[in-house]
Amino acid sequence: MNPHLRYAFADRFAIAEVTFLGATHAHPDCRFRTRIAQAAIPSVKLLSGEYRAHEELYPIIYTLQSRLSAQFDVFRVCTTCVDNAAMTARLPDPLPSPTTWQASLDLGFERRDAGTVLARRHHHGPLRIQKPLYPEGPDLCHAIVLHPPAGICGGDQLRIGIEVDAGAQALLTTPGAGKWYRSAGALAEQVVRIKVGAGGTAEWLPQESIVFSGAEASMRTDVELEEGARYIGVETLCFGRRASGERFERGSLRLATDIRIAGQPVWHERGRIDGASPLLHSPIGLASYSACSTVLVAGLATAPETLAACRGVGSSEAGARFGVTALPQVFVGRYLGHSAEAARAWFIELWRHLRPALIGREMAVPRIWNT
Amino acid sequence: MNLARLLQLASPALPVGAYTYSQGFEWAVECGTVKDEATALVWIGDQLEWNLGRFEAPLLGRMMAAWSQGAGDLELDARYLASRETSELRAETLQMGYSLRRLLGELGELPADFMAQIAVPPAPTFAWVWSGVVTVWQIPRAEALTAWLWSWAENQVMAALKAVPLGQAAGQRILLEIGRRITDVVERAMVLDDDSYSNFAPSFAIACARHETQYSRLFRS
Repeated sequence: MNPHLRYAFADRFAIAEVTFLGATHAHPDCRFRTRIAQAAIPSVKLLSGEYRAHEELYPIIYTLQSRLSAQFDVFRVCTTCVDNAAMTARLPDPLPSPTTWQASLDLGFERRDAGTVLARRHHHGPLRIQKPLYPEGPDLCHAIVLHPPAGICGGDQLRIGIEVDAGAQALLTTPGAGKWYRSAGALAEQVVRIKVGAGGTAEWLPQESIVFSGAEASMRTDVELEEGARYIGVETLCFGRRASGERFERGSLRLATDIRIAGQPVWHERGRIDGASPLLHSPIGLASYSACSTVLVAGLATAPETLAACRGVGSSEAGARFGVTALPQVFVGRYLGHSAEAARAWFIELWRHLRPALIGREMAVPRIWNT
Repeated sequence: MNLARLLQLASPALPVGAYTYSQGFEWAVECGTVKDEATALVWIGDQLEWNLGRFEAPLLGRMMAAWSQGAGDLELDARYLASRETSELRAETLQMGYSLRRLLGELGELPADFMAQIAVPPAPTFAWVWSGVVTVWQIPRAEALTAWLWSWAENQVMAALKAVPLGQAAGQRILLEIGRRITDVVERAMVLDDDSYSNFAPSFAIACARHETQYSRLFRS
């Protein structure tokens, strides 16, 4: 079977992703990813269609590269191909070196007379925020965090800092699933730091993270709450691209999640999940499920009736497992299944019960989740 | 004498109530995940390998290292407590920590400065107090960790005998196998780097959460 070449545009940001499909081709480490400016879209269409052989891709990629030159931000080739004499003859010399993206985004929400405003924003590299939205009125600011490359490669570093000052309210989400691509070995890191002042609330509700087989991923979330601050967070992990039959067989994922209230740890979790690890199938681990969601709510005691209501929340996904518990200052929900969508529906139902108790508002699903 | 002290501390006869907790095992039986000797061994063995061996044991090792410098590290106590992810698991370590501290007071065997230190936190975890006692008694770290894990495994097997239920010989076969694995787990725990700590065990966490509302139960976790 010949490998098939597929390209995809990651929504309107015009990112071309070129991936080899087909399990039998001889270069398991080979993956191309191109990041191309909007203007380049017509040229990228050259890549559409199927290619009979791996080798045919190289001249096309290089033609593209010479045509687009500076618009290529990232270019990677597998070492197997580079070492192949026949292939090397067709390659430019010197080879472009793989580059990685360092990106950071710092946001500061303040409470003013008129409501919550996004008073501070700084970004570096490809991390942005869309215009603040106020679908629930001026007191609560919705913000959508964009990572235009739409995927994270080995060596990339993303840092997101969110400060919600005393009395301010902010909800943050992402426009789509985060993808963690296969790495040649370098670690890709995302660090999210959230600080919330007294009386402030932060809702950190990114869409799911899909960890491709072969990814080397590190996800760290640090939440610091002052006394009287509140936080709702959800993290959904998908191990491998289940839709295309991929399982998480190589690479690794490191997780670190900490929540402190007034400096005191109230939640501390570490995770190290290697590709093909028995933990993926263990009855104490992922139990052969490919999607896992964790809901954490911190800053106040969960009322018994709220806990009871959350215990009553079910899932539309047959065979999914889930459970909730209430620690003195943290509510915890865990979901295991195969569907990130079903996990989100489960979260939304929990949120419906938790949000009024926590921040005095009805649940309001960000519109971008429905697109 | 050190060995005798360690055996005493790791014994099911230590009156801290360990036998009343199953740590989600009872729910695992209820929902059919554990149904016989083989599945009981998988559950207990995986807990040892993927949860205790990569989080609790190395953290306990760090607690001992801090105690051996002369002072218990309250930050580690807080970290351990924050890692107990359901209300029952949290209540378990606090109740056992309370009971152990009270027992030590009644024994009058430990030095006054140690007793003063463990009196500082309003509610210390069992792991933190226990790690201090083994350090004061100058028990080598590897032996102490082995005893900690052994004592936990023995308690899990006792829970299995009642909950599955299993026969005595089946329980002893599980312990033989756990005993075979424990040395490697301890060796790794003693040198585990920060990036490899892992207490991520979602299905275990769900079992512990579900146990809270289990209709008929023998255990408190």
